[in-house]
Amino acid sequence: MNKRSRVEDIGRRGDELLASVGPEDLGPLPPPYDKPEDRPAWKEMNDKAKDRVVCNLDGVVALSLPKPKDAAEEEEYVEKFLSGLKKLLEPQNNWTFLEPLLLSLEYCVKCQTCNDACPVFAASGGKDIYRPTYRSEVWRRLVYKYVKPHGKRFARFIHGDIDLNWTTITRLYELCYRCTLCRRCAQACPIGVDNGLITHELRKLFSQELGWAPKELHEKGTMLQLEVGSSTGMNPAVVKDNLEFIDEDMTELTGIDVKTPWDKENAEVLLIHNAGEVLAWPENPGAFAIILNAAGINWTLSSDEIGYDGVNYGLFYDDFQLARIALKHVQTAKKLKVKKIIMGECGHQHKAMMTISDRILTGDMSIPRESCLTLLEKIVFSGKIKFDPSKNDFPVTLHDPCNIVRNLGIVEPQRRILRYLCPQFREMEPHGVDNYCCGGGSGLAVMSGNNFADWRVSLGGQVKFKQILDAFADQPGPDVKKYVCAPCSNCKGQIRDILQYYKALDKSGITYGGLVELIVNAMVDVKEPFIHWEMH
Amino acid sequence: MDTKELGGKQVEVDEDGFIQDPSAWDEAVAADLAKTEGVENLTEDHWKVVNYLREYYLEYNMAPMIRKLCKSTGFKLKEIYDLFPSGPAKGACKVAGLPKPTGCV
Repeated sequence: MNKRSRVEDIGRRGDELLASVGPEDLGPLPPPYDKPEDRPAWKEMNDKAKDRVVCNLDGVVALSLPKPKDAAEEEEYVEKFLSGLKKLLEPQNNWTFLEPLLLSLEYCVKCQTCNDACPVFAASGGKDIYRPTYRSEVWRRLVYKYVKPHGKRFARFIHGDIDLNWTTITRLYELCYRCTLCRRCAQACPIGVDNGLITHELRKLFSQELGWAPKELHEKGTMLQLEVGSSTGMNPAVVKDNLEFIDEDMTELTGIDVKTPWDKENAEVLLIHNAGEVLAWPENPGAFAIILNAAGINWTLSSDEIGYDGVNYGLFYDDFQLARIALKHVQTAKKLKVKKIIMGECGHQHKAMMTISDRILTGDMSIPRESCLTLLEKIVFSGKIKFDPSKNDFPVTLHDPCNIVRNLGIVEPQRRILRYLCPQFREMEPHGVDNYCCGGGSGLAVMSGNNFADWRVSLGGQVKFKQILDAFADQPGPDVKKYVCAPCSNCKGQIRDILQYYKALDKSGITYGGLVELIVNAMVDVKEPFIHWEMH
Repeated sequence: MDTKELGGKQVEVDEDGFIQDPSAWDEAVAADLAKTEGVENLTEDHWKVVNYLREYYLEYNMAPMIRKLCKSTGFKLKEIYDLFPSGPAKGACKVAGLPKPTGCV
């Protein structure tokens, strides 16, 4: 089914899907992934589930929004949406992004250049609803009709018609989570219209005004982080216990005595990891400890609640939640009187701390914040650690996390390290600020309810998986072991899911991990291989 | 919230089939949860994983590090996937009656 979806259709025929999408829509992959029958089928929403939750967009359900009790409840939410729509355009209610939002409201010339830049639209075989401009156009028409003066009488003649109703807002809500906020579309726009920002602002509207947000990001993300100290559920005692285990494990593995310092006052560096690393990729915090100790850096972790988890999911959906977590991070640094905060290998943490939080971290709260990538570059080229790059003599490619590379412009430090330490380093095409998102950006990687994981990994990850395979096309067989370096927890989660979905470790010998693991693997003092081609 | 018949009783589950009330868990519930994960019979090896997860959860109120699970049970991650095809988080934790793991894991 490939019928066209027009913008005004979003508010019509609420009991039908606006579009239908499935694995059959996806383009080809190189062998041995070229047989459509080998592509795993997507889970379908069963009738019982569809009775309970809203499923009216594309047959995929990321958000499990409960069906309304009655028409009055529908009306209540539509009213709240309208109130939020107005607030987005008011300086007193949108202190973060009003200016760029207004520019993106007024200046789109509908040239559709951005469509080709979007990996979701491309992978879907060109579904209208996934155009970066589709969501934005819905928003523009709603603003012109329902917010601007005389909109109800004239807007439809100038900007096109649209109805604001329960169907419109529920489809739009779900549609906001079919975009990874990678902002490749914004980069492609000849006049700088930012469709990614519009999606972000809509997510924010839903969260701040209607109380609608993915439970993985809000209830089990930000709220859990505020309650126990981490979105993973680790309280301070558990995180210290886990790091002690990692220290022992790394000592055993490398023969180097690994010790993680805690709560050291006046340290040069407060390192804040994404806490997911501790649970899922312990070799990453372990490798950081080995490198920082070997380089003689005066560093520490914090065991303060939230001070050991750099996650700030509010970046993806809610300015208030973003601000609450950002303040906690800075309070931790102030309490320890450290010189600066270094962000671990986590993309959204970089963006939240390095730029967006600037709006609130003024005056004496403006503590220096730096990417781990620049610190690692200084260390690697300082001569303090001896390396033997021949230990990394296997094909390595680099995934550029959107938030670190396209959105912050940190492009070269990680590359200079890889060119030095990995003799077979090769770029993906395109790369750097033009790179494609992993498909799990903006929190999607941690969302997998109902059949959403199928969509995220299969459709969302299609372009990235093809890029990875192409980068290793000279040695495709499983006998040659290969490494995708992805210095971001969220991207690693998505790339892990992609590689497992296609059994790419068995079929192509591809594993994945961060940057620090490659650095440690090349250290002369580390006698045993640090990287293992095992499922992890 | 959906309910499902597990171990001969109605138990609340989330959209991915994780039970919501950890105290509703017993061995019969685990056996039925395993079937939803494509595991027809829970062997001694399955129980080794499930029991470790359960004990850790009751003490710390969350799932353990995957590496701790592997080290304590002696299984490699691949072997855990062989036992629970959806893996330690979505498969083994579900059978052990833990909530779905949270955060960037």
